[in-house]
Amino acid sequence: MILEGLLARAVQMSTPLLLGALGEVMVERTGVMNMAIEGIFLLGAWAGFTGAYITGSLSAGFLCAMAAGVVVGVLYGWITVFLKQHQIVTGVALNILAAGIGIFFYRVLFGVPLLPLTVEPLRPLAVPFLSAIPVLGPALFRQNILTYLAWGAMPLGWWVLFRTRAGLVLRSTGANPEAVDAAGISVERVRFGAVLAASALSGLAGAFYSIGYLGLFSNDMIGGRGWIAFALCFLGNWNPLGALLGAVVFGIADAAAITLQTSGIRMVPNEFLIALPYILTIAATLARKRFNVPASLGTAYTKEEK
Amino acid sequence: MTAEKHGGNSLSESLTDPDGILSSLFFSSLSVFLGLASAGVLMLFLGHSPAAVYRDLFSFAFRDVYNIADIFAKAAPLILTGLAFAFAFRAGLFNIGAQGQFYLGAVTSAACALSFPFLPSWLLLPLCAAASMAAGGLWGGMTGYFKARFNANEFLVSMMSTYVAVAIMDFLVRSPLREAKGEYPQTDVLAEASWIPSFLSGTRFHWGFFLALAAAGAAWVLLWKTTLGFRMRAVGKNRSAARFAGIREKNVFVSVFLVSGAFAGLAGFLEVNGVQHMVVQGFNPLLGAEGIGIAVLGGAHPLGVVLSALLFGALKVGGLLVTQTSSVPSSIIAILEGFVMLYVILSFYLRHRLRRACARRRAAAGGEAP
Amino acid sequence: MESPHTEALSLRGITKVFPGVLANDDVNLSARRGEILAILGENGAGKSTLVKILYGMYQPDSGTVSVNGRAVGIRSPKDALALGIGMIHQHFTLVPVHTVWENVVLGLDPSSGRPAGGKGAALELEKLGRRYGLEVDPFAVVADLSVGMQQKTEILKALYRSVSILVLDEPTAVLTPGEADNLFAFLREFRAAGNTVLFITHKLGEVMEIADRIEVLRGGRNAGSFLQGEVSERELAARMVGGDIPSVGETLVRPAGRDVLEVRDLWVRGGRGHHAVRGVSFTVRAGEILGIAGVSGNGQEELADCVCGLARQERGEIRLDGRILPREDPGAVFRAGVGYIPADRHREGLVLDMTVEENLVLKNLSAYSRKGFLREGAMRKNAERLIGEYGIRPPLPGSRTASLSGGNQQKVVAAREIEAGRKCIVAVQPTRGLDLGAAAHVHRMLAAARNEGRAVLLVSTELSEVVSLSDTVAVMSGGEIAGIFPRESADLRTIGLLMAGRKGEPS
Repeated sequence: MILEGLLARAVQMSTPLLLGALGEVMVERTGVMNMAIEGIFLLGAWAGFTGAYITGSLSAGFLCAMAAGVVVGVLYGWITVFLKQHQIVTGVALNILAAGIGIFFYRVLFGVPLLPLTVEPLRPLAVPFLSAIPVLGPALFRQNILTYLAWGAMPLGWWVLFRTRAGLVLRSTGANPEAVDAAGISVERVRFGAVLAASALSGLAGAFYSIGYLGLFSNDMIGGRGWIAFALCFLGNWNPLGALLGAVVFGIADAAAITLQTSGIRMVPNEFLIALPYILTIAATLARKRFNVPASLGTAYTKEEK
Repeated sequence: MTAEKHGGNSLSESLTDPDGILSSLFFSSLSVFLGLASAGVLMLFLGHSPAAVYRDLFSFAFRDVYNIADIFAKAAPLILTGLAFAFAFRAGLFNIGAQGQFYLGAVTSAACALSFPFLPSWLLLPLCAAASMAAGGLWGGMTGYFKARFNANEFLVSMMSTYVAVAIMDFLVRSPLREAKGEYPQTDVLAEASWIPSFLSGTRFHWGFFLALAAAGAAWVLLWKTTLGFRMRAVGKNRSAARFAGIREKNVFVSVFLVSGAFAGLAGFLEVNGVQHMVVQGFNPLLGAEGIGIAVLGGAHPLGVVLSALLFGALKVGGLLVTQTSSVPSSIIAILEGFVMLYVILSFYLRHRLRRACARRRAAAGGEAP
Repeated sequence: MESPHTEALSLRGITKVFPGVLANDDVNLSARRGEILAILGENGAGKSTLVKILYGMYQPDSGTVSVNGRAVGIRSPKDALALGIGMIHQHFTLVPVHTVWENVVLGLDPSSGRPAGGKGAALELEKLGRRYGLEVDPFAVVADLSVGMQQKTEILKALYRSVSILVLDEPTAVLTPGEADNLFAFLREFRAAGNTVLFITHKLGEVMEIADRIEVLRGGRNAGSFLQGEVSERELAARMVGGDIPSVGETLVRPAGRDVLEVRDLWVRGGRGHHAVRGVSFTVRAGEILGIAGVSGNGQEELADCVCGLARQERGEIRLDGRILPREDPGAVFRAGVGYIPADRHREGLVLDMTVEENLVLKNLSAYSRKGFLREGAMRKNAERLIGEYGIRPPLPGSRTASLSGGNQQKVVAAREIEAGRKCIVAVQPTRGLDLGAAAHVHRMLAAARNEGRAVLLVSTELSEVVSLSDTVAVMSGGEIAGIFPRESADLRTIGLLMAGRKGEPS
C-alpha cells in the first residue's frame, strides 16, 4: 500500500517538472537559459486558476496559463535575445516581477476571501484494464490527463529534437550559432521562438499546481520547483528522456520524503531527501566533462563586425 | 570557455564601468522613477491613486524616528547580500547563492549564541559574527573551489547550493536547534548577551548597520587597494589578458567566493543577533534576490550598494506600512523591485547604444587613418 | 571581354570602406564557367573583404555583382546560396558535436529536392563523395574528424546545395600536403563539370598548380590579371608585394653581441591540433633585431606565444642567456627578462577597463605590493616616468585605458614590455592599426632597445616593417623558417617568393 501510494504520488508530482524541464531542454539547446522559469511557474499557477475560476473551464485555465507564460517569454526573449542583456540578471528581475504580479492580481480580482477560493481540479482518468495491474496500475494508469500528456511529451520531445529538421536547427543553434547563421537561418529568431515555447510549457506546468492538483492558488505554491525543473534539464544532460529519468528520481525522493515523514520512519533526515536533487545536480556539474552542454549556452550571439 | 565571451556584453560594461558617476546616477534615478511609475499603473487597478500611495509610502517611511531607524535596520542585511553579488561580479563571477550563505550564517550564529549563552557579550558577539562569516564564506568558497578545480559553472552550483543550504537550515531548526517547546520549526530566543546593542533605543536600528557599512568599506579597500582586488578586477575585465599576465585565476575564484560568501554570512549574524533574536524556518526568503537587484542598481560599487540598499530599505518600511493601513497588497513591493531592476537592465542597453554611437561619431570625426 | 554566356560571375568597381580602412578600392573581377580563378595577395590586400561581399556578409559601398550575366543584390548567405554560390571559410562553420549528414542538411531549403533525413542524405552524400573524391562517413561526428575531413564536409555541404560557384578562402592553410593534393583533384573535377572556383591564397605554388587565371590584389586594388602560363612566379611575387623597395632606416652596423635568445628545433601545435611550428631554429644576439616576415597563419604567432610561455612546447628547446626558459609560465618568462608585445593587445596585452597606471604594472604586480596592499605611490611614480619616456597621451596615470587612442594604448603595452624585457623583447605586429606617427614611435622604441644591447624578435606580416627595422630577416612559411639573411643581402623578390611558399635562390 505504501509503495503504491508512493509511486502514484511520484508519477503525479513529476508532471509539472517534466513540462518545465522539457521546455528548458528545448530552449537551452538553442543556447539560452530560461532564467525566468520560477516566476513563470507562479504566474502560470495564478493565470490558470484565474482563467478556470472565471470561465469555469479547466481548459480555458490551462490556455490562460500558457498565454501568461508567453507574455513573460516575450519580455525575457526580447531583452536577452534581441537586446542581448544578461540572462541571469534579467531572469532574477522577471522572477520577482512575475511572482509579484500574480499575487497582486489575485488580490485585485478576488480581494481577501475568508476561505481560499477553489475550483474542481483535474480528475484522474483510469485507463481500462491497465489500471488494474497491481501496484503499477494505479501509479501509472490512474492519473489525470495532464500527467499522461507530460509523460507522452517527453518521448515526443526527444523525437522532435533528435529526429526532425526543426530539432536539428535547435541543437545546432546552441552548439554553434555561426553554422546556423552561415546556413542562412536567423539565430535570433530561433532563440526567441524557443524562449516562447519554453515559457508556454512552463506556464502550463505552473497551472498544474493550482488547477491540476490542488484546485486553489496560494502565493508560495511553487517554492523553488521551477528551479528543480531547471536543474532537471541539466541533470538530464539536455535530453528530454534524461530529464524524464531525473524527474522520476526526484519524484521518488519527494514522495519518499513525505511518505517517510507521515509514517514516522526516520532513517535519514527528511531534509536530506529534499536536498538530494540539488546535491545530485551539483555532483553532475562537477562531472561536466561527460556532459554535452550546448557550447553557446548563456551567451548572446553577435555577428562578426568590423 | 564560454565565459570569455562575456567580456564584451553591455551588462559588464555598464555595471562596472560607469561613463561617469553622474551618468550612473541619472540612469539609476530614471530606472527608479520608471519603476515607481509602472507599479503605480498597477495600483490604478485597485482604484488607488498612485500619487496618494507613494505620498503615503514615503511619509510613512519618514514619519517618525522609529520608522526612519527601521530603514537602517532593513538596509543593513541588504547591503551585505548586495555586496556579496557585487564583489563576485567585479571578478566576472556570479554568486547567486547569497540566500543560502545568509541562511547558514544565520543558523551558525544562532547555534553559537545558543551553545555559549554564558559568555559575556564582548566575547559572544564577535564569536557569533566570526562564525557566521566563516559559515557563509566556506559555503560560498565551496562554489569557488568547484569552479577552480572542476571548471564547474559557478552560477548553477551557487544556485543549487542555496537549496541545499535551505535544507540544512530546515533540518537544524527542526531537530537539533529546535525550540524547547518543540512547537514550531524555530529556535529558542537567544540569550540577551548575544543581541547586537541598539543604536537608538526603542528602535530596531542596531550597531550592525555600521558593521555593514564597514563591510562595504572593506570591500572597497579590497577591490581597489590590494593586490587581490587588482587581480580580481583584471580577471573580471579581461580573463585572457590576466592569464597572459601570469595571474592565477583559480586562486582568484576561490578567494572571491570566500569573501563574497562571508559578506552574505555576516548578513545572517545581523538579522539573527540584531533583529530576530532567533531563527525561524524560511525567514527573509528574498534577501538574496534583492541583493542582486541592489548590486545591479548600485553599479556593483560598494557606495552604490549602500545607497541602493537604503532606498530598498525605505521602500520596504514604507511599503509595509502602506499595505498594513490600506488595501494595497504587500506584493506591490516585489513588483516595484522587479520593475526597477527591469528598467536598470534596459538602461544598460540604452547606455551601450549611446556609447557605441558616440564612438562611431568620434571615429567619423577623426577621419581615416593615413 | 567574355561573352555573357560563359561569364559565371563578375564584380565591377567594388569599393568597401571600414572606419579608417579602405578595404576594397574599385576592384574588378570576373570568372567564367569551367574556370579556376586564383585571387592572390598578401595580408590586407582585400581578398577576404571581397569574398565576404560576394557571400552577402558585407555590403559594398559601391559597385555591382553579377551572376550569370545578371546584376544581383546579395544581402545574406541565404541569397548567395540561392544564387548557387557556396563558400568554404578559413574557419569552418560546422557544428562539432553533430554528425556529417546533420551538418550537411542543416538549414537545407525543403524545395531543394535533396533528402533531409539521415538515410537519404547519407546515400546522396556517398554518391557525391564517390563522384568528387570526397568520401566522408556521413554518420561520423565532426569533432572526431581530421581537419581535412572537416573541410570535405564543408565542401559537401556546399555541393549538397548544388552550388555552381565555389569560393575557398585559404583552403590549404590547415591541410597536410596529401590532403591538399586531394583538394586540388576535387577542384579539377568540379571545374570539369562546368563549374567555377574562386581560390583565395597567398601561396604561389598553389596558384601555379591549379589556377587557370590569376588576379593579383594589393592594398585593396587590382594589381594585375594573368592567364596561367603567361606569367612567372617571380613576376607574381613582385606584383603581390609591390615593386617599391621600402626605405631603409638608419643603418647601424653593430658588432653582434652574445647569443641571448636561442630557439632549437621547436615544434608547436596550433589551435586546431596541426603543427603550426615545425622544427624552427634561430638565434637572436644582443643588439640585434631579428625580423620574421611571412603571411599570417604561417606559425609566427604560435612561435612567439611559445617563446613567451603561452603555448605548449611540444618539442625543442628555448634558452635565454644559455639557460632554459621556463615553459608555459608567462609570469616566469616575464620575470626572466623577456618582454612580449602581443599581436592582439586588446585581448592579451591590456585590461582596457583598468587605468593606465594599473596596466603598466599588470604583469609585475609583486613588485608593487606590500603585505597584499598595492604600493600606490610607486605605481604612480612608475606610470609618470613611463608616460614621460614613451610620450603616452593624455599624460594622466589615472585615465581609463579604453579612453586612449589605439596608438597610445599600444604605447602602454610597449612601455611595459620594453621596460621589462631587460634581455629580450618579442614584438608581434607592434604597429598594427597605428597611424604613421605612432608606428614610427614604436619603431624608435624598439631600435633604442636594440641599441642598448637587448635582443629583439620582431614578427610582422608587413614586409616593409620587417625589412626597414631588422638587422637580420627571416621568412616563415608553412611553420618553417624558409630563409634567413642579413638585411644588406635581403632581396625583396626573393623574400616575396619565400613568403609565397617557394624556395628562392638568394641573388
